[in-house]
Amino acid sequence: MEQRSSFLQRLVARAEFGPFVLLMVEIIVFTLINQAFLSPGNIGNLLAFTPELGIIALAMTMLMTAGEFDLSVGSVFGLMPVIMWTLYNTGATSLEIGFLIAIAVAAFIGFANGWFVTKLKIPSFLVTLGMLLVVRGTALYITDGFPQARWSSDSPLLKILVGEITVGQVRFYASVIWFILFAAILGYILTQSKLGNWILASGGNAVSARARGVRVSSTKVGLFILTSVLAAFAGIVSSIRVSTANPNSGTGYELEVIAMVVIGGTALNGGRGTIVGTVIGILILRLMRNGIVLIGVPGLAYNIFIGAIILGMMALHSWLERRHNAGT
Amino acid sequence: MANELVRMEHINKLFGRVQALSDVNFTVNKNEIVGLLGDNGAGKSTLIKILSGALQPSSGDIYMHDKRVTIRNTNDAIANGIETIYQDSALVTQLSIARNLFLGREPLKGPRWLNRMDQDAMNEAASKLIRRVGITKNIPPTTPISALSGGERQAVAIARAMQFQSELIILDEPTNNLGVEETHGVLNFVRAARDSGHSCIFIAHNIYHVFQVVDRIVVMRRGKMVADNINPKETTVEKVEEVITGMNLAAM
Repeated sequence: MEQRSSFLQRLVARAEFGPFVLLMVEIIVFTLINQAFLSPGNIGNLLAFTPELGIIALAMTMLMTAGEFDLSVGSVFGLMPVIMWTLYNTGATSLEIGFLIAIAVAAFIGFANGWFVTKLKIPSFLVTLGMLLVVRGTALYITDGFPQARWSSDSPLLKILVGEITVGQVRFYASVIWFILFAAILGYILTQSKLGNWILASGGNAVSARARGVRVSSTKVGLFILTSVLAAFAGIVSSIRVSTANPNSGTGYELEVIAMVVIGGTALNGGRGTIVGTVIGILILRLMRNGIVLIGVPGLAYNIFIGAIILGMMALHSWLERRHNAGT
Repeated sequence: MANELVRMEHINKLFGRVQALSDVNFTVNKNEIVGLLGDNGAGKSTLIKILSGALQPSSGDIYMHDKRVTIRNTNDAIANGIETIYQDSALVTQLSIARNLFLGREPLKGPRWLNRMDQDAMNEAASKLIRRVGITKNIPPTTPISALSGGERQAVAIARAMQFQSELIILDEPTNNLGVEETHGVLNFVRAARDSGHSCIFIAHNIYHVFQVVDRIVVMRRGKMVADNINPKETTVEKVEEVITGMNLAAM
């Protein structure tokens, strides 16, 4: 006889359940205090920046599930638009070629991260910390520290990446579509595909995964490349939206992104990961930043709430895990 | 010999200047459980690692079904029908039973580019397999390994080795850290594996466990094979211990 727990029990046992409840509470509390929270204008505001950070968080979820993380995403987010716009503004290449070159450079940075981690067996914390400084330093050096103005261009790339879309009264950018697309693809890979099983196994127990013939190193290198490329994509999208490529942009994003991922229920040390959870985690942090300003809490107090959420969620996840392992 | 599954001939292994194995000959027959015994440092692990592809011999040949094979890595070993179950049973504890059983050889469905695992087929096959290795308790195949007991984990590891038609299953200390009942279970799984046509190499520190389950005992000492055909039914634990240590313990 199959032992079946009720639908509700299974729902509650899911790693995404806690974050989901928190998100609902957040929305209800903010809306009760300030009706403007769910106004079309504010939703449009939220949808402008959220996908940019969110796309990095999606990639980071995959990488962290495989047991690694990447601190250089914020600096890649800053450098790649600088490369693209510099190539275009100096007339060296068309915008499309500049875009491809920037993505290729990002892929190389990801590959270098992966190579150091898998071949030289250096912890990803140290490798990507070093890479963060190299990449940020490069961005500052190329630009002398000044933002690259975005020159006018009628390239279709701008519309494809950041075109404005209006649904009802809500106006948002094409980046939302990209975010949904990436979330769907990566969610599918992680839960349904053979590659997903390899990613989970690489993060859960690399030694035994390798003993089963899983190509752990290639999997990890691939995910480092994915993370770097999506960070570059997000950075370019952001630079188009705000019409400038600032060599300092993206500073500190790495930690906010990692916070989003772990709040959603992905394990910091690998083996367990959820794209759905990350999407919820992204919304929790972005709504919090937006909401506490709307309800009149000083914006500078934002980090207090973020820190408290991280601690609370970690406590919840560890409690769920212990209960789960106890076999109940 | 027609009955022969694996033959290792004149195997030498040097680690720098240390001779870990010297001129070792070792065979496993079809449908046979061989107990490989020896003290710490006798060379058991080295020999097994060579067979499972984790190490390369400095010299010597390996034959399967009388054909010479080269085992350069784990995948070569698996391709030749050799499965190794290590001490810690090497499962990914966060993953489900079914995902562990098929790790590295996940069945796919649908178009290839979708890379989609056939999870229904995996779960169904996993349910059957864990029943075959004697887990009678009703455990859904989607249960993560972390929720299983030590004995159940070994059973899953054995089920994994049995499922891919592997001809030779190497069990490295499968009864370590197990309780009495769980040990009993594992010994039963090993017998079940033999009865369904697999050969096994059984390595254990606990000679009593070895005695209960194997058809033949071989003993290594200081990198050499010192006995290769002891019938456990015609000897005693004490006598085998003497062979292992190379001392006449009774006289001490």
